[in-house]
Amino acid sequence: MKRALFITLNEVRLYLQDKGDLAFGLLLPILTFALMYGAFGGDTMFKATASIVNEDQGVYSQQLIDKLDIVDGISIELLTAADADAKLERSDVLLALYIPAGFSDTLTSGGKAELVFKQRGNGGLEGQILASIIRSAAAEINQEFQALNQAQSNLEGKGIPVSDIELTVRDFLEKELQQPSVGVTEEITGGSAEFINQYLPGIITMYVLFALSLSARAIVEERRRGTLERLLTTRLSASELFFGKFLSIIARGFVQTFILLVLSYAVFQLFTPLSFLACLVISFVFAAAAAAVGMIIAAISRTEESANWIAVVVTMFMVMMGNTFFQVAEDSVMATIGKFSLNTYANKAYTTIISQNGALGDTWSQLAILAGVAVIGLFISRMIFRAVPGSK
Amino acid sequence: MAEEFVVVKEIHKSFKDFKAVNGVSFSINKGEIFGLLGPNGAGKTTTIRMLSTVLEADSGDIIIGGHSIKQEAEAVRSIIGVCPQDLALYEDLSALDNMVFFGRMAGVEGKAARAQAMKNLELMGLEDRAKGKVAKFSGGMKRRINLAIALMGSPQLLFLDEPTVGIDPQSRNHIFENIQGLQKRGLTVLYTTHYMEEADRLCNRIAIMDGGQIIALDTSYNLKSQIGSPEKVTLEDVFLKLTGRSLRD
Repeated sequence: MKRALFITLNEVRLYLQDKGDLAFGLLLPILTFALMYGAFGGDTMFKATASIVNEDQGVYSQQLIDKLDIVDGISIELLTAADADAKLERSDVLLALYIPAGFSDTLTSGGKAELVFKQRGNGGLEGQILASIIRSAAAEINQEFQALNQAQSNLEGKGIPVSDIELTVRDFLEKELQQPSVGVTEEITGGSAEFINQYLPGIITMYVLFALSLSARAIVEERRRGTLERLLTTRLSASELFFGKFLSIIARGFVQTFILLVLSYAVFQLFTPLSFLACLVISFVFAAAAAAVGMIIAAISRTEESANWIAVVVTMFMVMMGNTFFQVAEDSVMATIGKFSLNTYANKAYTTIISQNGALGDTWSQLAILAGVAVIGLFISRMIFRAVPGSK
Repeated sequence: MAEEFVVVKEIHKSFKDFKAVNGVSFSINKGEIFGLLGPNGAGKTTTIRMLSTVLEADSGDIIIGGHSIKQEAEAVRSIIGVCPQDLALYEDLSALDNMVFFGRMAGVEGKAARAQAMKNLELMGLEDRAKGKVAKFSGGMKRRINLAIALMGSPQLLFLDEPTVGIDPQSRNHIFENIQGLQKRGLTVLYTTHYMEEADRLCNRIAIMDGGQIIALDTSYNLKSQIGSPEKVTLEDVFLKLTGRSLRD
């Protein structure tokens, strides 16, 4: 055990000697955090630009544009029809609103006016949301117009000036808008609705997964240096070598994740002290499981290239099948395959703590699986390891 | 009668259908420098790997310092030091850190490891470079560090696998003098090299291997006597006569 700790200390010393690696290792969590802050640090959850071709230039088309302009997160880009067509063609925009010439005149004369959406494919998620917001603005104008027509028709011949009717109707609609008859209240249960809470578990799992590729290279690096065979002619046993490497990789993966969690704690204030500690425990156990899988790769790889390639494939599998950034439907084939991904369990545990305000005790089954993988993975890696071909 | 420190009894090692070592037996006396020569692919490295506990023989036994490798590999590892042919160092660490680390691995405790490291660095003429990063050392200095590391833990048997490859005559001579000094202090050495004059100068006895077998084993003088006058023939003449002139892999 003592010699295993010397191996760990030596690894840490080598890591500290490599200034480039050290800078990368410590700066990466800060950089990741900066990206997270850029992505999730703003107040608005949806931001988009509405590309509009206004061929009408009348009062109602302008009214529609003004209504869209005051929606939070929406900015307006007015285009000519030719520009909009070209942008759609190049996929620079996925959806554009065309307000045809005569739109206002048609409405004024009591006719039925049409708005046109042109889109590439289904317009993308952003386009679909924009289209929904535009439909809602058009519905408001429609409602306003119908209320006004109805009032004018009812009061016709009673000597009330049209401008007074218009003013009264608009005043009524404005009040209705400020104090709607049917209100909607948002109630959030089981955690925050902030996007960062939804994505942070995935980001952390990706991060801890670095431990897998680090450990995959642990043994081949010794082999390349020539120190592997030399070490195995000393009193150091192969088991001590593996355990020492395993500990050093957990330490590296854990320190990086710790930096990321501390920054998230300080800036986004996502955690209570207890949930922060719970995330550290999950990170530690997950790093151990990832390191153990990496050690299996290390045990079977003869070169750094093969270790890297196997680690990349395994990492991709873990990420894609493990609910890391997108939800896999339950009871699907992918969900069944996903049971072989460490991310599935780690992500579930982090989500329980970060997004659902759960306690560490709620994650015991995931932690038990990850700890089991760590122990069994380390054991298997030692069993299949051969210092040189033909050795036992 | 000389005390046998290493006894190799009829060892065999195959890799699939290839017999790398095929019934090798020899013994090395305590305090002896024993040369193991042979062309590439003769089975020298496999033999050394079996003696240094990295590989297990398919059959036969090896006794080192009274311990059978089969039953007491750990006891054997505690009395051997290995200086591999390729440099086996942490180039990003200092010479002293390398020495102390391998000393700890050899079972030397804290301060004693540091003291022994400094003593061995002094022996190799590198005491003033103790804190220098190995990556910045010359080839000769790295070779000397490679040898100094093998001495950590005060081994009783030293494996030197081509320790002088690619270095200048001064460094080579320094290494020779050190090996001879260690022999005087009772260290047993198994030495492999492709430089015949080195084996001639250093080794008390020489075994020549080819095709996984020992084809000759005697003192340099006696080996030379087999093909002519020992004053006129060289060890290289003997080697080429026994192993042939055809090129090897």
